Amino acid sequence: MATTRSATRRRGRRDFLKASAGAAAFATFGIARKGFAAEPVNIGGLYPVTGSFAQIGQGCVNAAKLAVQMVNDAGGIKSLGGAPLNLIVSDVQSDTTVTRTETDRLISGYKLSAVHGCFASALTLIASEVAERAKMPLLTGSSSDMLNKDRHYTFTPFSRASQFALAQLQMSKLVSNSPKVAVIFENTAFGTSTSNGLREKAPAEGVEIVMFEPYSAGLTDASPLINKVKASGANMLFPVSYLNDLILIIRAIKQNGLEIAINGGSGGFVIPDFYKNVGAPAEGLLGVAHWNHDVNADAQKVNAVYKKQYGEFLFEYAGGLVAQTFMIADALERAASADPQKVRDALATLDVSSGYAAMGPGGKVKFGPDGKNIYAHPVGVQWQNGDLAAVFPKDDARAPLLKV
Amino acid sequence: MLATVAQAVVNGLLIGGIYALVSIGVTLIFGVVKIVNFAQGEFVMIGMYISYFLAASFDVDPLVSLVVSMPVLFVIGVLFQHFLIRRVLGLGDMPQIFLTFAISLLLVNVALLLFTANYRTVQTPYSETAIHLGALYIPMAKLIAFAVAMALSGVLWAFLHATDLGKAMRAAAQNPDVAMLMGINPDRVFCVAVGIALALAGAAGSLLMPFYPAYPLVGQVFVLMAFVAVVLGTLGNVTGALIASLMMGVAESLGIQFVGADSGLIVVFAMLLLTLAVRPNGLFGGWNR
Repeated sequence: MATTRSATRRRGRRDFLKASAGAAAFATFGIARKGFAAEPVNIGGLYPVTGSFAQIGQGCVNAAKLAVQMVNDAGGIKSLGGAPLNLIVSDVQSDTTVTRTETDRLISGYKLSAVHGCFASALTLIASEVAERAKMPLLTGSSSDMLNKDRHYTFTPFSRASQFALAQLQMSKLVSNSPKVAVIFENTAFGTSTSNGLREKAPAEGVEIVMFEPYSAGLTDASPLINKVKASGANMLFPVSYLNDLILIIRAIKQNGLEIAINGGSGGFVIPDFYKNVGAPAEGLLGVAHWNHDVNADAQKVNAVYKKQYGEFLFEYAGGLVAQTFMIADALERAASADPQKVRDALATLDVSSGYAAMGPGGKVKFGPDGKNIYAHPVGVQWQNGDLAAVFPKDDARAPLLKV
Repeated sequence: MLATVAQAVVNGLLIGGIYALVSIGVTLIFGVVKIVNFAQGEFVMIGMYISYFLAASFDVDPLVSLVVSMPVLFVIGVLFQHFLIRRVLGLGDMPQIFLTFAISLLLVNVALLLFTANYRTVQTPYSETAIHLGALYIPMAKLIAFAVAMALSGVLWAFLHATDLGKAMRAAAQNPDVAMLMGINPDRVFCVAVGIALALAGAAGSLLMPFYPAYPLVGQVFVLMAFVAVVLGTLGNVTGALIASLMMGVAESLGIQFVGADSGLIVVFAMLLLTLAVRPNGLFGGWNR
């Protein structure tokens, strides 16, 4: 028994050595050969493809794939011998715990050069923390100002939450010379932080806030709330809400015969799904975005391709994501290396004013020491004929304001 | 000011009509079968999806689709009683709670799987219109929903009091053993009761569709209010649930108006606690049981 067993073991070991030697030889050969014909450069994409943000997350993944294809069709990274980009997507499931483990898994499991993600600020904050520790550059369109605090590997090419509030207040002057604003917000972290930002900045902008009211998210009926807005005498409404409450609020405004201008800010307000659900009453509603598909010719070109493929316009976050991919490509080109540290350094010195990387409001990208794009600012948008048109500020306006 | 108060009361009554349809179903099942149906909200959700898909695929008005959602849910109710609830009757509270709670979880997750978490709305010509009465605005879709809800409650009341089957149902509710001695088949009566309760949930779903988005978790929004109404109006009392629902709608609306938009529920629960302190059996304890 014993001899048989040891014989088996010996044979096993010998076989294993033979096999692994062969594999090692093959692998070495494989790498060597690939080295000549440009090894693909891996980029990680962290998006919520399932869970409550699933629909937007799927749109982001579609845009990220489209962007990678555009870079590769244009010849890949020339300084790396025409290396193609390879997108590795990970589902962060709209959940902060999953985001932490998935970001970790993605960074440690693959040889990545950079990552981008995660749409929702709450998720991006976690991913950015993990990326910082792993010294992995991360690009994001998330707007939380916290992403610019003590980070050396996080880059935010688009406008920040604090800038959104300012733009939203300034836009109320489009509607009235003496704006009286009602702010209604869901009593969550998102609702309170956004609405407090609005309240702090209102006096300096000459905007009077006549009503400032939290409500419990998940309304059964928005009519009582709208009745209250009506009694406040406001001529402009800022709802800080997610989609289901927004639908009820907009409908209740129509049902209660309230004539009021509405600026819904960003997020759920500036995605195709909003119009699909609200329909004609959405016409003329205002919002704020960090990107819009009509900002310049390049953006319109990408929008046309995306629309043909997916049947709806390229929304704020997804459009910005295409630009982010081109920023990574630009950095790889100048770094002439797939090493994340070198890519990070190249991103820190990025300075573009043309091409797909620069197709945002302002038209230029250059990062300050806090990772903020020093040229970034939000664009005011309005729903017109089922599409979003840029209407503010003057320099970025691509369509006249629709008076309702 | 007066107009604001009047508008708040009208808004409260209108949404109270919807709460009533859900809570009458819960209280009917409790009164007759003596089981708390935690899945009632999910049957509202099914009613909404039936109306949504009929509207999206065949352009059927959600109000017309009542004639589909109610019978479909009636049948589901009969099967639910016959194959599931019947097996846990007399086993104590825990198996019953687990059964209906499990059905609730199951339905929510199947809906997430089949329909995704997206919000779905139906646009009807009356979704955004309203009747003007002086300074008052009465939203058309909610007015129709309220009227149909009241009519259905009236029909149910007449059924319980004027028909043999209705009387048998009340008899089985009061004392199943004596009812059986009188030749009433409790199984059959229970099936009809659960069927009617679910049909009302289906009706609530169809009536909500013109002004409320459908999504898998939508039932839980309404079921909380329904349970409060059922307790406030005395468990098992159909008229009590109806009146309590309307009161709660008005209390919530006035609370939002005068206390704070995040305090509507506080007013409702304060009302519940006060009532229970004074009348532990609910507002209508002792009537009609």
